[in-house]
Amino acid sequence: MLSMEILKFIVIGLLGGLASVLTKRGVAVFHDGLRPIIPEYIEGRMDKKALMATSFALSFGLVIGFGIPASIAASTVASILLIHSVLLGTDIIGTWSPNTKLGDYIAFGVGALYGVLLLVGLGFIVSAFAMLPVNFLPALGEISTPIIVSFAVFPALVVAYQYGFKKGLIVLAIALVAKQIIIKIGAISILDMKIQLNADGMALLISMTLMLILAAREKAKVVEGQAGMSMLVGLFSERVKRIKSNWLLLALTGGIIAAATSMGMLAGDLISLNLLKDGIKPEAALTALAIAIGFIPLVGTTAITTGVYSPAGMKFVFVFGILIGNPIIAFVAGGLMIIAEIFFLERVAILLEKYPGIKACSDHIRTATTKVLEIALLVGGMIAAEKIAPKLGFFFVVGLYLINKTSKKPFVEMALGPIAAIALGIIVNVLYFLNLF
Amino acid sequence: MKKIVVAGQLDKEKIAALVKEIAKDQAEITIKEDIQAAMDMKAGLFDYYIGACNTGGGGAIAMPMALYGAVHCTTLSMPGKIKDTAEIKQLVDEGKTVFGFTAQHAEQVIPILVPLLLAK
Repeated sequence: MLSMEILKFIVIGLLGGLASVLTKRGVAVFHDGLRPIIPEYIEGRMDKKALMATSFALSFGLVIGFGIPASIAASTVASILLIHSVLLGTDIIGTWSPNTKLGDYIAFGVGALYGVLLLVGLGFIVSAFAMLPVNFLPALGEISTPIIVSFAVFPALVVAYQYGFKKGLIVLAIALVAKQIIIKIGAISILDMKIQLNADGMALLISMTLMLILAAREKAKVVEGQAGMSMLVGLFSERVKRIKSNWLLLALTGGIIAAATSMGMLAGDLISLNLLKDGIKPEAALTALAIAIGFIPLVGTTAITTGVYSPAGMKFVFVFGILIGNPIIAFVAGGLMIIAEIFFLERVAILLEKYPGIKACSDHIRTATTKVLEIALLVGGMIAAEKIAPKLGFFFVVGLYLINKTSKKPFVEMALGPIAAIALGIIVNVLYFLNLF
Repeated sequence: MKKIVVAGQLDKEKIAALVKEIAKDQAEITIKEDIQAAMDMKAGLFDYYIGACNTGGGGAIAMPMALYGAVHCTTLSMPGKIKDTAEIKQLVDEGKTVFGFTAQHAEQVIPILVPLLLAK
């Protein structure tokens, strides 16, 4: 029997390899901004050099400045990779691989190596940090303190974006009351069975339900001559066919993502990553579900118009990965999900147009989860930094946050808290050697 | 009078307000869904398309790229990089008409972009 560790490397290697092949063949890319570029290249309006430069410019900064630091900050307990660090890298590897038959093998080999190195590297960095004279790893774990008790805020924010301040505030108040009541009760007994309730999970469930009910009430106004989804689907039917013809490879990749998530080594977004790190699974699954809903219109419309899919699909594969403990079953479920996504692509897009409230809601979910992460991880970064270096931490993070905003090449705001805390941890070790700490 | 359509995926109202603040009565600003706005660009109903998303190149300008043509489109900012005034001026001079950026950078990009568009 293979040990779990070796199995992890095989799975991440397969993921890196397959995703790189998908990108090399122009079948799927993860970066939403790269997707519209691919047909330009395939149809000969853009040369290979320009494609390589674009994919590098789009993705490299996000891998280094977002995916990897966020993964490190959350990996103080177990190594969990944020999907962005894997698939933005394979976007680059795929577009850089030569456009020949041999290129497939090169893409697979380099991509697999990249995946394995990421996992090895993450473990290596974390254990290297642990060996430093001033060990800041336990303090780094504090970064997730705010997010794991505040993530349930985002549906209220979505409602506020969509229907105004007042309705948003009402949903927030309902969520807050629900949360507090459940904190107070703790558990309920049904027929001698004690059921432990999670306050944040219930608050999220209630506010998400309200969010979706409000959004679903909006029906489409039929405007004569309005260009819409059905037109797009007709216009780009050839491109949609292209995605469908590659269903097997896409399903395999999606299945592997679900299996890797099930094995606890991968997460699809920063909120569920931080929840999974602390073993809070049902809430992570619910959040992943909301985020997948948020990605339906974006992945759907870009896929239909470009004929290029995403290796992680609409991100539903993560929900299966989190909920299913057995990686093999998760693999099958994830693969089937991708197949369903692809074959119902046009129908979902057209259906979505009949419910403009849901479509708008999806767009707002992505904004809202980003905003919640920005503030929660910033505060988390501050708490961690202050714990690493009392009296220096708050100063450092507040300073770095505001200075970053004036930069021509600013860090992604979501990642600034974790980046600042890690940077401070390294700085205090330098100061220690200089006898200043 | 320039005709500008604000589409893309994020913060449309905020972006339209920012553009309005700078353009005053020198431009007519309309907010639209991205598919329709892209079709309108193709039909020549607007002079410029401005849109934002989280990456500056995805949801922001994906529809005009597909429906109107990638040669007209450009990304002015992406996570971790904002183009400077000279670079943006060059793109406007080249005749680009569809501009995408990340919503996070709207306040930096719009004050540079809009005067250039009005002057053209």
